[in-house]
Amino acid sequence: MKIQVLNKGLFSLIIDNGRVGRQRDGFCESGPMDSSAYDWANFLAFNLDGTPCIEAIGEMQLQVDEECIIAVTGREPELSIDGRPISPYQSQKVPAGAIITFGCALLGSKAYLAICGNWQVPKAVGSACTVVREQLGGIDGKGSVLKDGDCIEVFANTRIKDSDKMRTLPTHLIDDYGFLEAIRVVPGYQFSCFSTVAVRTFETSTYTVSSAIDRMGFRFTGESVTADMENMRSEAIHLGAIQVPGDGQPIVMMRDRQTLGGYPKLGCVSPCDINRLAQAVPGEKVNFIFQNEEEARVDWLLMTSRRRRLQGEIL
Amino acid sequence: MQAFGHIKRIVVAGADAIIIYFDGANLDEANTACHQMLAAIDARRASVRHNAASEGLEHNAESPWGWLRECVPSYDSLLITFDMTLIDNHGVYRALKALSTERINTQPADNKPGFGNSVIEIPVWYGAPNASDLSVVSKKTSLSIEEIIELHTSTAYKVYAVGFSPGFAYLGDIPEALKCARLGTPRKRVPKGAVAIADRQTAVYPSESPGGWNLLGLTAFDMLLHTDQDSESRLKVGDVVKFVSITEQEYKSALKVEL
Repeated sequence: MKIQVLNKGLFSLIIDNGRVGRQRDGFCESGPMDSSAYDWANFLAFNLDGTPCIEAIGEMQLQVDEECIIAVTGREPELSIDGRPISPYQSQKVPAGAIITFGCALLGSKAYLAICGNWQVPKAVGSACTVVREQLGGIDGKGSVLKDGDCIEVFANTRIKDSDKMRTLPTHLIDDYGFLEAIRVVPGYQFSCFSTVAVRTFETSTYTVSSAIDRMGFRFTGESVTADMENMRSEAIHLGAIQVPGDGQPIVMMRDRQTLGGYPKLGCVSPCDINRLAQAVPGEKVNFIFQNEEEARVDWLLMTSRRRRLQGEIL
Repeated sequence: MQAFGHIKRIVVAGADAIIIYFDGANLDEANTACHQMLAAIDARRASVRHNAASEGLEHNAESPWGWLRECVPSYDSLLITFDMTLIDNHGVYRALKALSTERINTQPADNKPGFGNSVIEIPVWYGAPNASDLSVVSKKTSLSIEEIIELHTSTAYKVYAVGFSPGFAYLGDIPEALKCARLGTPRKRVPKGAVAIADRQTAVYPSESPGGWNLLGLTAFDMLLHTDQDSESRLKVGDVVKFVSITEQEYKSALKVEL
């Protein structure tokens, strides 16, 4: 089966779970910005976890040459097939020759398109995930973003039968992507080098998502927070780490972050909230709240078991 | 989490990560301690895999050390990330402590990772127009541009860590007089081959990327070796590197050779 890109949208990438274990050579982790939406997309499209997907910003249009099953997820995603609007967050059978249009209502948020089957895309340094900066992954293995006219080959999964129950995640159970609730942060790294005033300032101020947001990191603007230290040695940066450079404006490190860095860090965004934050768009207001690592782990275990239970109910 | 052995501090780095800072009389010793712990972890993982294979079992998340996701070393620190469904940070701490005790009892003390003796020369066109903060560095250090180049080329540097981006090797230490802070706001674009300094460190940007270091010039030396499916860093931890000053013409002809 061939998937042809008719309109690439603003920025569309082939992604998968990313590169694990190669950060020590300097290769970034990569992977989906919103791993929750990515996992749901593959689950709803009858794929195994870690199957490649398309992560798209803007409205993307593709055509399939065979009947297949797809699923679209993300923050307020929109989907239409041959111009007919279809609900996202469900398995959707698409006839041969159909044109799939999908994207997110908010410009800058990411939508995920999973297509059931075996993706014929090359692996570079262990993953198909596109990293433009490192010239790795993607359709050619050299880090190219998807462009109009690209053709992706996916071998159909013959084990899915017409009698198989289609999968739907009810609307009220879809992840909440708003910012009414604060983003949870686990204090860590150089936290003790920030004054009480700086920590309170960070926790009580509202920060605005700037236009400098990409797969490497999200820069925020707001009250300045600075560490009481001048120089430090570069060290490894975990997903969600909050770096504060000399100008005092926090940067949350995302999937394609560099592996090492030398700016002081306040802590790390909880894994429960990193996907929500990754779907923020410029101009949105965000508050941060500290919680210790034990609370963060409990929240994460509850979130994971809720997801497993939901998936069990859908099956 | 109490420190032990050559560890100075163990700090939380997130819900699913801890970072270990190593101790030593100098940075070189701390760096060696860090790489020894990494080698011990790698050896343990390899033996777990080997034992599982010899018993005909699949190595999976449930096996000992199956919780370990990533170890990322740097100068004097080691970040360890783990699977929160299998372990918490106290469990990780206990596993590392047990590993360290075992090693003291079973390994000879002089089991240092061998450092290569080869001195690798990297030719630099200092003051290349698109990669030069020489005047900024001159202000920060109160040195003349000639003195900066003289100092930067005078020392042989050790590769302390590889990271930040593929093939980015952190070299140190640069002379105390050259020490200068990072830029207040990182640049959005640093050209490929830019040679830079920050604090007591120096490095070459292997590809175009954002960065906050002070740029001194450009090199045509390619920091990555490419093969079909894989790529690897040309400089390895422990290598010794010297910078050599070259002219614009020499840089341009070297660039043609590398291409």
